[in-house]
Amino acid sequence: MHIPDGYLGPATCLFFYIVMIPIWYTAFRISSKQLNERSVPLLAMLSAFAFLVMMFNWPVPDGTTAHMVGAVLIAILLGPWASVIAISVALLIQAFFFGDGGLTSYAANCFNMGVVIPFVGYYVYSLILKFVGKKTPATMGLAAAIGGYVGINAAAFMAGLELGIQPFIAPGYCPYPYTVSIPAMLLAHLVTAGPVEAVVTGSVVYYLKSKNSHLLNLPKLTLRGEKSGAVD
Amino acid sequence: MVPWIKRALIVMLVLCIISPIGILLTWNYGDAWGEWDQVKIGNQTWEPKHYSGGAPLQDYDVPGWDNQVMASMGYIISAFVGVFMVITVTMGVVKMGEIAREIRERNTEEHQSD
Repeated sequence: MHIPDGYLGPATCLFFYIVMIPIWYTAFRISSKQLNERSVPLLAMLSAFAFLVMMFNWPVPDGTTAHMVGAVLIAILLGPWASVIAISVALLIQAFFFGDGGLTSYAANCFNMGVVIPFVGYYVYSLILKFVGKKTPATMGLAAAIGGYVGINAAAFMAGLELGIQPFIAPGYCPYPYTVSIPAMLLAHLVTAGPVEAVVTGSVVYYLKSKNSHLLNLPKLTLRGEKSGAVD
Repeated sequence: MVPWIKRALIVMLVLCIISPIGILLTWNYGDAWGEWDQVKIGNQTWEPKHYSGGAPLQDYDVPGWDNQVMASMGYIISAFVGVFMVITVTMGVVKMGEIAREIRERNTEEHQSD
């Protein structure tokens, strides 16, 4: 899902930088207020964990590859705003050191993977838990798995949409229209990356809950402060 | 060291070492959709414009390490370099946040004492 340089036209790239700047600022403000000495090492670990799981490319039946992101796991443990920071840092290193994802499309990639995945995934997870009512390892693991699956596919849809509108607004950039790009992105993530994201997110949350780990009770980075972090 | 950090580091060490699975499993596969260096449409070849470049470990490999064994070594090296860099930069961002908070707190204190 790392859109390289040359696929998104200048207007799209600029649009996502304009969208991301206030989001980055908010995430930075919230983290400076709400992270504590116990959650800082976890944020660093999870950021590195996201970097690593993105290195595992899995085969898609149509001959392409896809990978999980890990953003929903970060959102569940530290709140979706923590995910914005962790994923943006991982994507920055990937773009600069490994040429994975372009610099012009960096903000678009941050939006897809660092905003859409964690926020969609986290709220799907919270809603399911609210609906079920019980917080057992099984319900939390399952809710986390579904959150991961929905989150990464929402982002795949967004990435497909961004790529697919280029033939209409910026000729010379991504050559395929959305009728091709959205199904292709969704296939890769519904069939391959989605299940991987679901299994990893679900099993880590299941494991932590069954061990009654304190890592599930750290303050969540949310707009309203710690109180709204009641879902753990 | 806090026990969970130790366990997390071991998990990440294992992930670094087994990371070549990520290329070996898809060795004969194409790129991820929309991440091609060039693509044939009909009888025309389309290539994305390159704005940036010169990443030291392009495609998570040491330049020139092309066969499966060497590329796997390059991948493991990339994993370690990446993990180190990501942790460093994340801690840097957190540190900047702490400094920003201290400045804010100092400013509000000054306002209160006025």
